[in-house]
Amino acid sequence: MSEPILKISDLHYSYGTGNPALKGVSVDIYQGEKIAVIGSNGSGKSTFFLNANGVLKADHGEISYQGTIINKKNLKELRKNIGIVFQDADNQIIASTVMAEVGFGPMNLKLPREEVLRRVEEALTTMNILDFKDRPPHYLSGGEKKRVTIADIIAMKSEVIIFDEPTAALDPLNAQMLEEVLVKLGEEGKTMLISTHDVDFAYRWAERAIVFDQGKIIADGTPLEIFKNARILAQANLKRPAMLDVYEMLVDNKMIKENNNYPTTPEDLKVLLEKQFH
Amino acid sequence: MENSLGKSSSFIRSGEKAEHEAIHHQKIHHHRIGHKHGEGSAIDFYAYASKIRCWNPTFKVVFSFLTLLLCIGLNNPFVSMAVIIGMAFLTVVKGGLPLSAYLSVLMIPLTFILMGTIAIGVDFSSQPAGQFNLFLGFGYVFTSVGKLQEMAFLMLKVFGAISAMIMMTLSTPSAEIIGVLRKAHVPKLIIELMNLIYRYIFILLDVFNNMRNSADSRQGYGDFKTSCYTFGSVASNMLVVSMKKANAYYTAMEARGYEGELVFLEDEKKHQVSHLIIAVAFMLFLMLLGIMTH
Repeated sequence: MSEPILKISDLHYSYGTGNPALKGVSVDIYQGEKIAVIGSNGSGKSTFFLNANGVLKADHGEISYQGTIINKKNLKELRKNIGIVFQDADNQIIASTVMAEVGFGPMNLKLPREEVLRRVEEALTTMNILDFKDRPPHYLSGGEKKRVTIADIIAMKSEVIIFDEPTAALDPLNAQMLEEVLVKLGEEGKTMLISTHDVDFAYRWAERAIVFDQGKIIADGTPLEIFKNARILAQANLKRPAMLDVYEMLVDNKMIKENNNYPTTPEDLKVLLEKQFH
Repeated sequence: MENSLGKSSSFIRSGEKAEHEAIHHQKIHHHRIGHKHGEGSAIDFYAYASKIRCWNPTFKVVFSFLTLLLCIGLNNPFVSMAVIIGMAFLTVVKGGLPLSAYLSVLMIPLTFILMGTIAIGVDFSSQPAGQFNLFLGFGYVFTSVGKLQEMAFLMLKVFGAISAMIMMTLSTPSAEIIGVLRKAHVPKLIIELMNLIYRYIFILLDVFNNMRNSADSRQGYGDFKTSCYTFGSVASNMLVVSMKKANAYYTAMEARGYEGELVFLEDEKKHQVSHLIIAVAFMLFLMLLGIMTH
């Protein structure tokens, strides 16, 4: 494979209280990958994200972006290229109009005004919220705020986008919208890391899954490999995706032939069943 | 706060429909004059819904400030009347704010004005004095036509000045007013603080409402003693929460490349020459009126 876009090696981090939150995390991330980061609460996912973006400074370890090791001088480059969509939109939205909010990142990049305006327009169009341009954030609903926070990062044109539990606090319709956005961003070749507790979502969306447990990565592989590994699931307190259970039950009961083409959505399963019986 | 939240939900939808609904909501909530809790955020809401919001904010701020200065400087009841009528016209007719809502906002400072002006119009004395007096047992309250007239003129002046300021606040969202102040070279630190405080008010109000509701649902405001205790707990909890929020904010800002200077993208609204001409004409009219009726 080619050179990783983001290379993290032996990262250690502990918060002020002395409790280590990350204990030697190493991972290579390649351009265009769709990665689900899973693990229980307090397993170090968010700390890892903040370190990857350079907000938290690791006690020990190294981060390199596209082959350049990140130090104090080029930290800005890292922040520009790795965007985080935070879990709680109210903790991210800072400005008092949607336009100013989405323009905040590009303004910090010291871009000319015309370019900032162009990017804001583009990001708002992508998220389908151009109408909200002049609205203040406190008159938006939860789902709309989430869209604004995603537009924030799109406007920065980050290569790598990190979503910290994006589906938490979203209703099914907005969660659906979010998945559509993820597909759109995937088509643009963005590298995405998403932390989630929704194993069904991780199973159908991700190409790669990283499992965190107590500040360490305990598994890294395709979602299928990980969800089939009972030991890892037990260690990280994870559930199995429903579609995987269903598929295996169907195979066990000889209702369909095993062909290693695991369905991840009900639609996939339908296609598979139709092939079997017609 | 409850009613403004209710209104805000209708504000989410865009276009004409939302505007209609917003006005409909205002009508429901403001069938009576007088103010209630949460009026502060209602003003914010009216500013966003105003039809003259699209006017250049610098124009509005400068215009209302000059009007205020003229109203006080000319010190003339006719000028005050003209200002009151002119500003009401701008806010209600041009801005599309329902009259009842406008009056309800104007009523907020009424108590202070009355308290302040009564002290000027009425005086105490141990001897009967003045044109009218009232014996209260320990002394006399007295006043005169001249004094009452002075009081009425002062009230008119204060109302004129206030309505000029209210015209500005009811048509210009805070973010735009802050933008004007920034252009007027108010120190950066103050501008940044204003921006952050404005955003924070709504976040803390939300937090406070959630805490209060959850305390209320557990009988936290059952009697006076419990209420006091709950109030204290909520207040101290607010402090902890706002510290945490401040940290989370800082993190999120840093993640988007914040480097110690808050710069926001501002919408630029064009000056309209016709507005400028009308504003100058209005000022001249006030001055002439002031001189003629001197």
